[in-house]
Amino acid sequence: MAIGTKNVPSAAAKELYRKNKSAFFRKGVITALISGILYGFYSAFLVAGEGVGNWPGFWELGIAGSILGYCLICAVGAGLNDICSAVWQIVIAIVKGKFGDFIATLKTKPGAIMIGVALAGGPIAATAYNVGLMMAGGIAAAISALCAAVGAIIGRVFLKQQLNFRMVCGIIICFAAAVTIGWTSFDGLDMTAFIGCCIAFIAALGWGIEGSIGGYATSMIDSDISITIRQCTSGITNLIIVVPILCIMATSMLDTSDISGNIYVYLVGGAVGGGAIVWFIFSGLCCGQSFRMWYKGNSMCGAALGMALNAGYSFWVPFCSWLLMGVILPLVDPSWSYAALTPVQWIAAVVEVFGILLIARNPLDFFRKKEA
Amino acid sequence: MKRPLNFAILKYMTTVDKACPADVVKDLQKDYPGDRRLNETAALESLMTATENGLLVEDSYEVDGSGNLVFYYAAPDECKEEINKYIK
Repeated sequence: MAIGTKNVPSAAAKELYRKNKSAFFRKGVITALISGILYGFYSAFLVAGEGVGNWPGFWELGIAGSILGYCLICAVGAGLNDICSAVWQIVIAIVKGKFGDFIATLKTKPGAIMIGVALAGGPIAATAYNVGLMMAGGIAAAISALCAAVGAIIGRVFLKQQLNFRMVCGIIICFAAAVTIGWTSFDGLDMTAFIGCCIAFIAALGWGIEGSIGGYATSMIDSDISITIRQCTSGITNLIIVVPILCIMATSMLDTSDISGNIYVYLVGGAVGGGAIVWFIFSGLCCGQSFRMWYKGNSMCGAALGMALNAGYSFWVPFCSWLLMGVILPLVDPSWSYAALTPVQWIAAVVEVFGILLIARNPLDFFRKKEA
Repeated sequence: MKRPLNFAILKYMTTVDKACPADVVKDLQKDYPGDRRLNETAALESLMTATENGLLVEDSYEVDGSGNLVFYYAAPDECKEEINKYIK
């Protein structure tokens, strides 16, 4: 039934209606924007944590010289972050009186889809993202932000969602900007950064799947609950399945003579030592809240626009990393440093966000809305 | 085990012609007695989110005695089918 066909609403009611609707939409937009900023802080705390305690020693191990060993160390970091995040989310769920719902949701169909989505977005994408960040720095964030474009393509192919000329333009702009960010960082043909960017693209694929396929089923679940399911699934699979498998591969394929005792105990046990865990506790909190707001924003203002706004993190990650490690921490300990991005890379990051916005909304709609 | 509250709200919508947030709170009270999460603000957000995702539609709206806008939502057959597919 069309709105207002029964009793024609008064002008005052119409005005109230318009205000109410736009307030809800605005709340969704702000939520999605904040998710991007929190994502920047999550990344900054994660990188900082992987630079203190036993971590500097990890990066100098023989295995860190190979991609496999590098992935292993990063999977430990990603797993630790997600476990910290899961603990935070469980505490938050208990405080908000939603823990019972969390257990009950696990046994439902949307709950099962959420777990599947968490596997794509969690262990796979988060580890790839961490490898990218450590090998290529903040540029990896810009590459992984392509998940919004990947999400649109997956939506077109598998979910038969519409993809028009404007959206295709947006996707092309996104890729062009990401290539620019990548290209300007390859001065001196730094192969490490190049490989890091390639691996960060795996994160874009994982999160594209998570945002597009998972977004719909998870719109039925309360965002506090869906994020608790996600972080628990991701943290547990990372530390109980992914890391042990990578440990076995590393032991059989790489030279681990500089690691004393069991490699799993050495890495996971050592990772929390020397104050590093404090940083992971912060990164875990920001990570969980960032993803919660991503889901919430997506379901309030539509997945396409929500993903676009969240992708502002391609700007926030280098910004927050620079703020934390290039400005704040050097005040305490001058050995910290973090290079700011070059002007070209800043501009390209902004262009990428514009491209993502173009996928999400027709820019003309913003003007039309005001007239209506 | 009780249904998660958000699922209960969606399921409830498949059983009525239309409902406003106050109806949701009133009718679910017996299943979730004293649950502080069950309030009109939370119910409205839940209904609006479901509508944004095509699980419900807006039916109508009116201004109540105290000048507040009241939204009514409904689940037509295709929405009912979709909700029932995911929530048993």
